[in-house]
Amino acid sequence: MFERFTTEARQTVVDAQNEARRMHSGRIGTEHLLLALLLQLGTPTSAVLARHGLTRQDVAAAITALMEREELDAEALTTLGIDLDAVRERIEETFGPGALDTGKPSPRGHIPFTPRAKKVLELSLREALAMKSTAIADGHIALGLLREGEGLAMKVIADRGVDVADLRRDLRAALSA
Amino acid sequence: MADTAEVATAASSRDPQIGLRAVKSLRTLVERLEALQVRNARDQGWTWEQVAQCLGVSRQAVHKKYASGRGPLRRKDR
Repeated sequence: MFERFTTEARQTVVDAQNEARRMHSGRIGTEHLLLALLLQLGTPTSAVLARHGLTRQDVAAAITALMEREELDAEALTTLGIDLDAVRERIEETFGPGALDTGKPSPRGHIPFTPRAKKVLELSLREALAMKSTAIADGHIALGLLREGEGLAMKVIADRGVDVADLRRDLRAALSA
Repeated sequence: MADTAEVATAASSRDPQIGLRAVKSLRTLVERLEALQVRNARDQGWTWEQVAQCLGVSRQAVHKKYASGRGPLRRKDR
């Protein structure tokens, strides 16, 4: 499948893997694909995404916050009578700031895609075919993300109030230019 | 603290979504605390044997999980 990817699209996949590793994630999710698309400054696709308010720094911060809450939900722990803030405070008194967040190891070697991220890549192929393009560009991956429509990347996009229909149209226009 | 009371009530609602999320978060918390304490023990010169004994697991298990700083993911990588 990857042989039809353009240089930028290949770079997106490579960057997504690096982002997953950097964020101590054992899987490459849609959120890492989105971050990877934003990483390549100067591409028409990242320019369109930036114009819709999706910049690397903001999106990275939003993803980190969402993932931390997914892993360690303070509210859920409260139902067990556990005050996460109190635990954190005690631990940091002894072991220093951020001690509770550093236990996560960085995965090594090959990191697999989540089923949803895999689906996004499949949809990027379909987006390319629909546009009668023989190559799959990074813009098609972005369109695949929007087409898939769920996952952490879409949650971040929705949370930022992005008009998805508008974004889709602009991405297509940039690809046709 | 009205929020806390509200959430605490939710816990007794037998909603699996809430209960399972709490369990998942608790597991994450345990994993992180374990990693932190194992590192601390090793920094203070404890042997893997001593660490394992305290955790109630085999020396091999704790070594496999934490040696060379790779952590739990090491097992999945193989």
